[in-house]
Amino acid sequence: MLNRDLSTYYISLFHLFFSFFFSVSYFMVFETCYVQRSPCVFLFLARHAMVSMDIRTVLLFSAIFRIILIIYGEWQDSHMEVRYTDVDYLVFSDAASFMASGESPYKRTTYRYSPLLAFLLIPNSIIHRSWGKFLFSALDLLVGWFIYTILKLRKVPENLCMYSVVVWLFNPFTFTIGTRGNCEPIVCAMNLWIIICLMKGNVLQAAFWYGLVVHLRIYPIIYALPIILVLDPDFFQSGLKPKLQNWSSSQGKTPQSHNRVTGQYDLVTALKNVFTRRRIMFGLVSGAVFLFCTGLFFYLYRWEFLHEALLYHLTRTDPRHNFSIYFYHIYLRSEHEFSVVEKLISFLPQFIVQLVLIFSFAQDLPFCLFLQTFAFVEFNKVITAQYFVWFFCLLPLILPWSKMTLKWEGLCCIFVWMGAQSHWLMWAYLLEFKGRNVFVQLWLASILFLAANTFVLIMIIRRHKFAPVFEQRDRATSKNAAKLK
Amino acid sequence: MESQQRVQFHIYDNVAIILILLAGIGIEVGRCEPNSESNNFNTNVSCSFKKHLLTSYFEKYECLLDSNFQDFITNELHFRMCEVLPDDLRLVIRPSVLQRHLIGEGSHRHLSSSIRFDIDPKAVSQLSIHYCEVIFVERLPSGVFADPFELQHLLQRGVFADVAVFGDTNLELPSFLSNRSAVEVHMKVDPNSLSTHKNGFEIKVDLPLHARYQRLDEGGYSTVEFGDPDMFMQCCLEGKSHNQSCYIPTSNNGTEPKIGAAVWRIPSGIKGHEGVVSVVTFISAFLSTLLIVLTSIFLSDIKRCKSSKQL
Repeated sequence: MLNRDLSTYYISLFHLFFSFFFSVSYFMVFETCYVQRSPCVFLFLARHAMVSMDIRTVLLFSAIFRIILIIYGEWQDSHMEVRYTDVDYLVFSDAASFMASGESPYKRTTYRYSPLLAFLLIPNSIIHRSWGKFLFSALDLLVGWFIYTILKLRKVPENLCMYSVVVWLFNPFTFTIGTRGNCEPIVCAMNLWIIICLMKGNVLQAAFWYGLVVHLRIYPIIYALPIILVLDPDFFQSGLKPKLQNWSSSQGKTPQSHNRVTGQYDLVTALKNVFTRRRIMFGLVSGAVFLFCTGLFFYLYRWEFLHEALLYHLTRTDPRHNFSIYFYHIYLRSEHEFSVVEKLISFLPQFIVQLVLIFSFAQDLPFCLFLQTFAFVEFNKVITAQYFVWFFCLLPLILPWSKMTLKWEGLCCIFVWMGAQSHWLMWAYLLEFKGRNVFVQLWLASILFLAANTFVLIMIIRRHKFAPVFEQRDRATSKNAAKLK
Repeated sequence: MESQQRVQFHIYDNVAIILILLAGIGIEVGRCEPNSESNNFNTNVSCSFKKHLLTSYFEKYECLLDSNFQDFITNELHFRMCEVLPDDLRLVIRPSVLQRHLIGEGSHRHLSSSIRFDIDPKAVSQLSIHYCEVIFVERLPSGVFADPFELQHLLQRGVFADVAVFGDTNLELPSFLSNRSAVEVHMKVDPNSLSTHKNGFEIKVDLPLHARYQRLDEGGYSTVEFGDPDMFMQCCLEGKSHNQSCYIPTSNNGTEPKIGAAVWRIPSGIKGHEGVVSVVTFISAFLSTLLIVLTSIFLSDIKRCKSSKQL
């Protein structure tokens, strides 16, 4: 508990400090390239330093950096009171060693994940206890590579791809997550791989990984609807790979003719086309994979698995302070049972926002997933700093389409988001580490953070150049193709 | 840790365990079993006392209550009392000073307890003690808990000889939904310090503790008060050859040390806030929802208008 809480603060403060510096530099470089084109020596050098590095060099540097961090973590663990290693990593490791000795991983209390995770970490007790950290960091690098791949598939210029990859790989928040032994990079990598599979028209594989990722971490269930929507017969035709829209075509002042589908998704057409072969296949395969994993582990570990890995996450309400606006309400009401109306009222905002975002932006899949994840975390009943990584991995995918300028929109967003977070952290520090009763102030700070999140979300939506991932194929051509068949 | 201790025991042929309960503080005596099959000094010999005192308590009772614990100490230990020890043994080692204070602020603090044991070196040397442990039992008040994993980490770093948490250790529950818990700490006592230090020895137990979320209160703070800890001493003696562990009953001879109570003020939610908080929380959630929904729909409309114009 102490370590969990300390690590939350540690992550948040560390993250705030560095990502401020980092985001400012990003926006500065980005803006100089594409907005102002002002001849500033520093920015010019920074820009060219980035461009001259290719993706392999960047990945290599990131890998070396991560190895150094893992080694440093080992040193800190053995020499300092506050551990570098995430407390959850110790939980995974213990669960893995139980599994290695043929016992249930749920013998380790507070292990609330799929047994697959413990299985992946079995080498922790055979090879070395840092195995998992290397695995997570490798996946973290893989996420960087996937970001590059997705942007390349969408024909984003090389330098913009590099900036976006760097936003992920050198974001202090993400590299600490992996090297401290947090399992989120697995989920991030799987989510991005699903996007890649879809972009390459490999629906079956996407469905397989989607079923697995929902089994591992439940939250990607929110991506089901946009994926189903994007599997539109206009984009996915039998025998043909979906045609991807280029980055450059979305940058022109006058959108091209195929941009007519960039608007709101037509609900009537959606209903008409809802039962296409690919959609049914995606649903069946992902559902089967999910049910198979769940069934298998239920057979092996019975109710322990179902309670810890699934039901706990679905029913979790935490009365202890966290970024969520609901924490104080939950605490004040925790002596009574929550009524159905209360549960419904607190669930509605999250549900409505998800639906609206999906039906407005589903065709720009990475953008839609980013907004959904951001909004999901924003309205969740429990928010910890760890959840931010869920949308950090999707942020680089939308940056090349952002028209946000440093002065003053970019800076404003950064200041508002970080300011609200620091403000919340200040009250949380006073409550938790100074023992002062500042519940009301902390709760108001949560509301302010919600407002900041909403502001940032709206700014991102407003300044985003909407660009559907797939290009619509000509219906006539598709009909002809069908006739020929 | 335990295996290290066991290795130490292997070199002795005849070992006994002593449990002495001193005035409010006891010394628990188990007995080390001799290896009857061999006279070799390297053969297996182990103390037969139970590993954790509280294991026996929680085998009998479901949750921690002070009255039950006192009954357990007096009845259960009395039932298995030791008959072979001299009556004056309980005076050989006496805790004389006890200081308790909470270190730090906020929800994560350390309860520091210093215990000074006065010893009679002559009597001790007659006992030929080769290994002793002080057992320190902290019955935590409701609203405070110890994290077993954190204590395990301290154990790995060699801070304690052994440590275990009993009772409700669910870290996430607020105090009104959780039961009390207790921590049992074993601290090694250097046998040399028993015989050489005329003034006795001092032991300091530093327990990291955490506050749970408290029951709602109008004052905004609830007070958690720590009771006195229970202490026992467990020794392995040479020369005793009994197979059963035994205990010496508590002796209330008025030498129980007085302890300054450690008090922890923990912030608690204020019941009066309930209505306002619920209303404002839901209003702000709905306002944010409305803003996001309007922006999404409005922007989608603009795009639709643009595309229809182009068509």
